[in-house]
Amino acid sequence: MTDERPQFERLEVQIGRLLVTGVTISALLLAIGLGLWLFDPGRWNALWLLNAGLIVLMSTPILRVIVSFTEYVAMRQWFFAGVTIVVLLELSVTVVVALSKGNR
Amino acid sequence: MASGAVAGCMGALLGLGGGVFLVPFLNAWFGLDFKTAAAISLVTVIATSSAVSAGTTGRNLINLRLGMLLEVASAAGGVAAGLTISHISDVTLERGFAGVAALIAVLMLTRLERRNVIQDTTVDPGSLGGRFHDDESGGEVIYRVRRLPVAMVVSFIAGNVSAAFGIGGGILKVPVLTAWCGVPMRVAAATSSLMIGVTAVASVPIQYANGYVNPPLAGAAVLGVLVGSRGGLWFGARARSKWLKLLMAMVLMLVSIIYLRRTL
Repeated sequence: MTDERPQFERLEVQIGRLLVTGVTISALLLAIGLGLWLFDPGRWNALWLLNAGLIVLMSTPILRVIVSFTEYVAMRQWFFAGVTIVVLLELSVTVVVALSKGNR
Repeated sequence: MASGAVAGCMGALLGLGGGVFLVPFLNAWFGLDFKTAAAISLVTVIATSSAVSAGTTGRNLINLRLGMLLEVASAAGGVAAGLTISHISDVTLERGFAGVAALIAVLMLTRLERRNVIQDTTVDPGSLGGRFHDDESGGEVIYRVRRLPVAMVVSFIAGNVSAAFGIGGGILKVPVLTAWCGVPMRVAAATSSLMIGVTAVASVPIQYANGYVNPPLAGAAVLGVLVGSRGGLWFGARARSKWLKLLMAMVLMLVSIIYLRRTL
């Protein structure tokens, strides 16, 4: 049995860093947006910041899957790279449907 | 905000998204319709997932390979439910919510004493299994993943349930992974926490585009859940698996009873 643990630990650390960054940015946007909104619900930038925070939040898991894919390719773990691509395709169905509804 | 904090705390503790607590609060007490409550809850599920997973990385508790494999099924379930949810009535959804919660509570209660770790560290965990340091056993332990098809089917259903009821779906996966698939409680919880973010993202963008996500309310709920999940992580590292399961079962029973009374 070859020990692949160091590589997987690296992926885990990278994913951890990505998740922290995503959550921090979205929490900041939501906190500032919510503060402005409570101060004056009519402010255009309050809703803009809140929506931006939500979009960053929704993007984080998708980015996590993309990072996993590039790492599995780098590790030559083709089976798991393939699995990751399937997950990405599923998520893209949702994003495409949402975007087409949003534009209407 | 306060309810978000409590839900986040419980969610982090049990490897659930916390939605089991947030949906009834937003729906029954706050007066939002079920689909709006579910959509807002699902947004907080993403936040819980990212925050909790970031806190548990580096301890070998998250099984990345098993998680990604199961995400194929759970994301498919999420997409399917996300596309059909607007055609289902709120009462049907609420009854389903009650049924799912009761079923899992019973399952948890019957498996209180089971532990899935092998303390002999020379055993080969296989390509999907793993090893981690377990404080309860006092050393490194190994586990193997069994009955993968069962885990896949349950993940698909969990994805469906997640999108329909605004919960993480860990409510279904964690008990099945621990009871039938040989995954230790903490690994199942950590892996499920990571997975629910992707599961939720498989349906949330559609609900967002449909206007079910109210930005200020969702923002407040997310911030509350983020604060609460810090507390859950702290407590979860100190509580014993048996008590986690007992607590989980009791809360699920309560939620189920509340919803049955509402819809009858």
